[in-house]
Amino acid sequence: MLLNTASAVISFLTKLEEETAKFYADLAQKYPEGKETFTFFSRDNQKNKNMLERAYYGVITDALEACFSFKEGLNPEAYKVETEIAEETSYFDALKIALKTEETIYKAYTDAASLSEALMADVPQTLRKIANKRDERIAKLKALIKG
Amino acid sequence: MAVLEEPIKEILTVKNYIGGEWVESKGELIDVVNPATCKVIAKVPISTKDELDEAVKAAKKAFPEWRKTPPLARARCLFRLKQLMEERFEELSRIQTMEHGKTIDESRGETRRGIENVEVATGIPSLMMGYNLEDVAFGIDEYVIRQPLGVFGIIGPFNFPFMVPLWFAPYAVATGNCILIKPSSEDPISQMKVAEMVEEAGFPPGVWNVVNGGRTVVSAMLEHPDIVGICFVGSTPVARDVIYKKCGETGKRVIAQGGAKNFLLVMPDADLERTIAACMTSFYGNTGQRCLSGANLVIVGEGLSEHEYNQFYKKVVNAFVDAASKIRVGYGLDETVQMGPLRDKEKKERVTRFIETGIKEGAKLTLDGRKVKLVGEWPHDCFLNPTVFEDVTPDMTIGREEIFGPVASIMRARSLDEAIEMIHSNPYGNAASIFTSNGKWAREFRYRVQCGNIGINIGIVAPMAFFPFSGMKQSFFGILHGQGQEAIRFFTESKVVIERWF
Repeated sequence: MLLNTASAVISFLTKLEEETAKFYADLAQKYPEGKETFTFFSRDNQKNKNMLERAYYGVITDALEACFSFKEGLNPEAYKVETEIAEETSYFDALKIALKTEETIYKAYTDAASLSEALMADVPQTLRKIANKRDERIAKLKALIKG
Repeated sequence: MAVLEEPIKEILTVKNYIGGEWVESKGELIDVVNPATCKVIAKVPISTKDELDEAVKAAKKAFPEWRKTPPLARARCLFRLKQLMEERFEELSRIQTMEHGKTIDESRGETRRGIENVEVATGIPSLMMGYNLEDVAFGIDEYVIRQPLGVFGIIGPFNFPFMVPLWFAPYAVATGNCILIKPSSEDPISQMKVAEMVEEAGFPPGVWNVVNGGRTVVSAMLEHPDIVGICFVGSTPVARDVIYKKCGETGKRVIAQGGAKNFLLVMPDADLERTIAACMTSFYGNTGQRCLSGANLVIVGEGLSEHEYNQFYKKVVNAFVDAASKIRVGYGLDETVQMGPLRDKEKKERVTRFIETGIKEGAKLTLDGRKVKLVGEWPHDCFLNPTVFEDVTPDMTIGREEIFGPVASIMRARSLDEAIEMIHSNPYGNAASIFTSNGKWAREFRYRVQCGNIGINIGIVAPMAFFPFSGMKQSFFGILHGQGQEAIRFFTESKVVIERWF
């Protein structure tokens, strides 16, 4: 099912932030060598969630096109992420899973921003800001994988 | 997607809030029904004239102390009220969806708009300042002081149960007046919640009162000698023939906002994709139940040949109908839903009658919303899907009268002049919008159109809290409007002092 409304998209992205915050908190516990990075990611997810909620609840108004602001709609099926790590997963493989997760979430944010462009200005701007933060994570994870 | 949790779990009994007390009415109780689920969610009293009198007495008693309370202290009560509203933002929003039927996005928008009025009113120490001039004559100074007047009545409509009373109430109390609010008996719950927060915010007893009910309460408010002014939002016949007329007879100040028939013009150079998105929220947002809703979509062929115009017309109609047909209709607590039900069965029947009249009068029914298709399993009682008519002319019933439902009437105009003439031939003058990239056309439209709220590439021309909510012709009766500086003037008397010392 496609998500067309601001409420549905914000809820979906908020849930992604919550799930990945827990994912990174678990990684931080499991892999001491990545503790600092993963803990930072997990905490930063909470900040992202706050940014999303402020952007939405701060500008929502009956005059704007909140129910029609995501054009043809965002398909949540396209942005499924893996947030469970098997017991035997190595640190290296965990980094690769995290990278894949970040790439998927980056795409979710950039797609959502393009869909909502110009109708509720603060929302796509925030989506882009968070996408940029995710992009920085991708670079960091790639560097860690490279060693 | 799952339906969000409902904040109302059992049937509430709505009480009156009079003199700082929650009072059970002696009047008959009627059901408040969630129009999406058709379940009773509350019982609201139809209060008596005596109960209204009690509320006026309480407000009158509170007035002398409240008007002496420093504006800064009054503002602090409003700051606390704002904080409580923020804390209960989601609960308030979901209640609006339950009692009215609007989508959760729309309810949150309404909550935000209501809160913004409280925010603006917190600036009362600056907003209420008078002005002065030294030496109007030798050794003589003159100044203006703004003083509150007493007790005001606020009569709320069903379509924005939370927000509309807040176009007035925060300004009234910030300026030192006392108020009594009569919410719509169709959806009175959010005003009860507001009163709970008013109590918690520490407003003195009697400053803010809520009396639920119907015509008896309204009539008693209009007749009451101790009520100095009335704010009303509703239909034009009531605004004009009852509220405005009676306030004139009894010497009350009045803001009476009535109905509308809003025209949206699409010019050949409009950004079509964004125009259509804005049109969807304009025509179908709040299920068309708002005085700023788009009603007539006029496709204007200014500067186009006949052939070009026909092509442009088809392009706009196809895009509009395609978007309208995809609107997801259902229970507003489902976050993916884009349009909720009408407020009640009678309103659905009324809109259905308009659709039937449109067909009889020769308009072409391009999209028939009577064929109800919903997201989720809900009773169809109050639902209609988006409806589109083509070949509508301004003299047809559906082109002329306020439908207050999800029905779009598409009209043709060969020039901007012709389109403006269409707008002016309609008795209403609430809002009108133009979609264009041409500054000259936009200016012409803004300059000439006799409507109180003008949109340029805006579908819903809803003024922010710091601007007045305007209206002209048969859409507004009064002089000063609600919100912002005009509300401050409405709720205060300008006292002029000329001073000389010997």
